[in-house]
Amino acid sequence: MSSPTGADPRPEIHRTADGDWVVAGRRCRACAEPVAYAWPRCPACGAEVEVAHFGPRGTVWSSTVVRIAVPGHTPPYALAYVDLDDGPRVLAHVAGDEPAPIGGAAWLIGASDDGDLQVEVAR
Amino acid sequence: MTVAVAGVGTSHFGRQPDRDLVGLAWDAVSEAFADAGVDAVDAVWVGTVFAPAGVAQRVLRAMGITGIPVLTVENACASGTTAFVEAHEAVRTGRYGRVLALGLEQMSTAFAGAITPETTDPEGRAGLAMPAMYAMSAARYLHTGAATPEQLAAVSVKNHAHAVHNPRAQYSGRYTVDEVLASRMIADPLTLLQCCPTSDGAAAAVLTAADGAAGEVVVRGAALRSGAPWNHRSPHVWGHDIVADTTRDALADAGLDAVTDVDVVEVHDAFTIGEIVTTEALGLVPPGDGGKAAAGGVTALGGAHPVNPSGGLLSRGHPLGATGLAQLAEITWQLRGQCGARQVEGARLGLVETMGGGVSVLDGNACVVTVLEAR
Repeated sequence: MSSPTGADPRPEIHRTADGDWVVAGRRCRACAEPVAYAWPRCPACGAEVEVAHFGPRGTVWSSTVVRIAVPGHTPPYALAYVDLDDGPRVLAHVAGDEPAPIGGAAWLIGASDDGDLQVEVAR
Repeated sequence: MTVAVAGVGTSHFGRQPDRDLVGLAWDAVSEAFADAGVDAVDAVWVGTVFAPAGVAQRVLRAMGITGIPVLTVENACASGTTAFVEAHEAVRTGRYGRVLALGLEQMSTAFAGAITPETTDPEGRAGLAMPAMYAMSAARYLHTGAATPEQLAAVSVKNHAHAVHNPRAQYSGRYTVDEVLASRMIADPLTLLQCCPTSDGAAAAVLTAADGAAGEVVVRGAALRSGAPWNHRSPHVWGHDIVADTTRDALADAGLDAVTDVDVVEVHDAFTIGEIVTTEALGLVPPGDGGKAAAGGVTALGGAHPVNPSGGLLSRGHPLGATGLAQLAEITWQLRGQCGARQVEGARLGLVETMGGGVSVLDGNACVVTVLEAR
């Protein structure tokens, strides 16, 4: 219920020289856990982490369409949890007002004007 | 030392924006004190999520409870049961003789609609309201064939029907599966009647050392955990593993071999999918059978494993901090045989599960599982 001020908690994304969008996150040096965020330690085991890039491709784990008013967002909007290849599970917005096909391919296409991670999905 | 639930009480649950937390808390505490036959306690644990700082002392001073240790705890939807297990531990270890656990929340003045996780978390910032978080699990269940839309709806039908016999419930009714599915879509595939309402309320319990009286309700076991990371490696939907792990701890603490030994259960059904996942995670039904159990009457009153005879969060309402103590009140009344038309006949062992979440990447902020027994 806090208002969106202060540091942006969403994953930081970069565009590579090849033009691909990737999440700039961390990977655990001990257990290889991928994390979409610049956290100081691995959330799974507490070991040290190093910078790692994930994406752009992944698979839709699940998806829904939010059809109620949520502060700062205009319904309806589609969301998907995407498991980036060899990477973390990230929450992303999907264009349109239909859920993304679960199990289907997804790829990062950048951030929305509001700073939300966006994916395109195979339909 | 064995700890008894000496008294329980709740306020009315519902949208009550014109009432204040002082009044709601008084309704719960005065009923619990009268039920326990006491007029004072040695310490208080208060569970709440969104109440303003100082709320515990603010409501307690209005009922003359001052000058004693008062602690406020927050564990999302498990805040009330967290207060309970901490109060229980304080009595069990002899730290205090008689302790009040109080849960309270006024949602109607804090939220216009659904709860959204903190915008300091990526999920909250990206607009994943709580119904959408559970909708992700529901959509996954439908995709893998672990449940059907009709089975999801059956949970709502069952719990609203149970609530017909609970005068304290915010909503009740005899709906059909079709009516539940035809209600307004909130977050696909969850419709309005599959989501808990916005509620204000308070609930309380008084804990003391057990005195061995016949029929006394005692705490047989309890456990609390916070969630491990939930990620692409997790074999289950969000919130399953923390419930399964905490249940294992609680059953071991209670000295029970199987959760199916329990006669009656109150679980955290903030959304229909939540009850399906939880009945599987508890081990009450085999993996993947939660939906079938709800649709087939297994988890209904009169079934083999009655779940949420009160109507659950879906019907009784869900004032976050109050919910866990309202669940414990229901199980206490069930074990005393005081539940009238919603009574589970001969119930001797009861279980309460509450799971709260919202912190990104974690499989829930906290889960509390408690086993109560009538002696």
